[in-house]
Amino acid sequence: MTQRTRAIMNLFYLPALLLFAVFVVYPFFEGIRISFTNWNGYLPNYRYVGFANYRRLLTDPYFSSVFWNTILYGFGCTLLQNVLGMGLALFMDTKFRGRGVLRAVVYLPAMIAPLIMGYVMFFVFQFSGGALNDIMLLFGGERVDWLAVPGRTVTIIVIVNTLQYVGVAMVIFLAGLQNIPAMYTEAAHIDGVGSWGMFRYITFPLLMPAITSSVILNLIGGLKLFDIIRALTPPSPSTGAASLSTYLTYQYANVERAGYSAVLGIVTFVFILIVSNLTMWFFDRREAQML
Amino acid sequence: MKRLLSIGLILALALTALPAITLGDGVTLNVWTNMTGVVNETFAEVCREFTAETGINIDYAAPANDYEALMKTKMATEDLPDVFSTHGWSVIRYSSFLRPLNDQLWFGDISEVIIPLITDDDGNIFVLPVDIDIAGIVYNRDILAEVGVDVDDIVTWTDFAAVCELVKEAGYIPVYLGGKDDWTIGQFFDWVAPSFFVTNEAENDRDALIDGTFDWNKWGALADMFADWNQRGFLNVDAATSDYATCTTELGLGNVAFEFFGNYAIVDANKAGPANLGMMPIPAYFEGDTPTLIAGERLAMGVWKDSKHPEEALQFINFLARPEIMSKLASANGALAGFESVESDTGAVAGDFEKYADVRTFPYFDRIYLPNGMWNDLCATGLGILNGSMSTEAIVDYMRESYLEKMDLL
Repeated sequence: MTQRTRAIMNLFYLPALLLFAVFVVYPFFEGIRISFTNWNGYLPNYRYVGFANYRRLLTDPYFSSVFWNTILYGFGCTLLQNVLGMGLALFMDTKFRGRGVLRAVVYLPAMIAPLIMGYVMFFVFQFSGGALNDIMLLFGGERVDWLAVPGRTVTIIVIVNTLQYVGVAMVIFLAGLQNIPAMYTEAAHIDGVGSWGMFRYITFPLLMPAITSSVILNLIGGLKLFDIIRALTPPSPSTGAASLSTYLTYQYANVERAGYSAVLGIVTFVFILIVSNLTMWFFDRREAQML
Repeated sequence: MKRLLSIGLILALALTALPAITLGDGVTLNVWTNMTGVVNETFAEVCREFTAETGINIDYAAPANDYEALMKTKMATEDLPDVFSTHGWSVIRYSSFLRPLNDQLWFGDISEVIIPLITDDDGNIFVLPVDIDIAGIVYNRDILAEVGVDVDDIVTWTDFAAVCELVKEAGYIPVYLGGKDDWTIGQFFDWVAPSFFVTNEAENDRDALIDGTFDWNKWGALADMFADWNQRGFLNVDAATSDYATCTTELGLGNVAFEFFGNYAIVDANKAGPANLGMMPIPAYFEGDTPTLIAGERLAMGVWKDSKHPEEALQFINFLARPEIMSKLASANGALAGFESVESDTGAVAGDFEKYADVRTFPYFDRIYLPNGMWNDLCATGLGILNGSMSTEAIVDYMRESYLEKMDLL
């Protein structure tokens, strides 16, 4: 390839680079600039306030619970989605009647907008007229205000998000399973390896690339979870279920602290960057060890 | 062959553009409102009537709970809808984005009640007030009759609490809130706060609230009253997690005695059931003070000053100002029309409007006495009381800090 051809080929990067610069790089640096202002988010006048917004982070009564919730959403959803997704994929990889239909049913919730999923789930969990409480009453139980206790609300959100996206993990693992060459499993069968040994020593190590992709995708999705929380709970962080994404939106759109919201955005960005890179590094090492 | 293919491709592209050319000869106006429920459906119908009459298309959006947040984003990017509703903030928040409307023919027809609430210091108005939000507390007449209470005997919050006790004993829910839509909690504080700090002529904090010297320890009394009601079971069990739709459903089904909503809630409640509902003034906090009503914008529409279609936007505003259209929209809201000369069907509360015609009206508390952005503090602290995460002291500190920050006094 001549230098000229290479130069021409490099030009093809330009549109993508331009889009990346306009929609990612510029907003990022603009966000850093706004984080040093007291801008209310819509009027043109504001002033620079130094590190005041960063100092607020240290005294914010909600920040620790919001941060902890974000970790729970990120890691809780990832764990559940991957464990369930793996189980479903192994099951769906066997041959039985109606397998195609069942795969579609498990994947179906992923095709619904998460906000709509959240609103549907509100009708399930709401105190008055909620489907779950109607079932409780049917069996002689009492109604429960499911979304009133912060810890329980966080758990419900993790479950709802898992239910919605477990199909995605299942599809990734199914693709991974179908890429495992039959010769390995056949050889193991001949050697008399049992089903657990087959999973432990053949399937699981060879699924590592799929596990890496699925974990990273679910982790990032969970850490920036927004729609379902917004649909099931009020915007205010005093409910104890807010995530960094909902809280920074609340600070910008409701409380009119665009500067502080920008600080929270930077924290979210840095946090996801660190967590996803550490996870990638961990799984890369595991892949290298296992393969 | 290549030439033929090129011509074919160009023709295909031209054909795809054709519908846009033929249908797009009329202007399309972006119109946004914060309306929900019956009035939202009526507004959409009015938009269709306007298009049928003028050929001007309307792209109507009503993002409900997200309206305020989306409008803030639009203000930040200076890309507003051509015509939009100002939900009580035509002067303080939106005036710098709106075209003054004093030059419109209907200017002289605007009701006296609403004029001071939509006029800036220079005498400009920026919206067409389609209707006026004059509201008190929505109540169930039958429940009060059942517990033997004459609504006009409820003068102070102490009287109100005594009635709540009777209502509770009779098996009904005294006050219903929908905390998932946390504006329902914010509205409670917004409507009750004037009785603590504004309406009492003998002792009030009007000036202190505006000049930044307000003693926020006084807010504790209001927070305590709300916490006390919650503790005594005057509020629905799911006050922190229910929503507005459930509030109006329970109201319509006759399960609730009082709700702190405008009369639009009666219109929405009537879709759920035939409860006998009315409107009462808001009780006083101080002995010697008298009950009051809240007044403000309800459906008020302004024109973005940088609209690309100013003529058409004004044409739409003037369409809304027609007596029959204004009457239809005001009736859908169960509210008084914005013009003196226009009649509207205020439904179940028509008699109440007459009965309370002489009751003093005050503006929404946050729109005059709190700086921009504090509305959410009312919602957040109220929720904090309901879910037990905030003490009175914490609420007072939270409100004080937010107030001083937004007044730029920190």
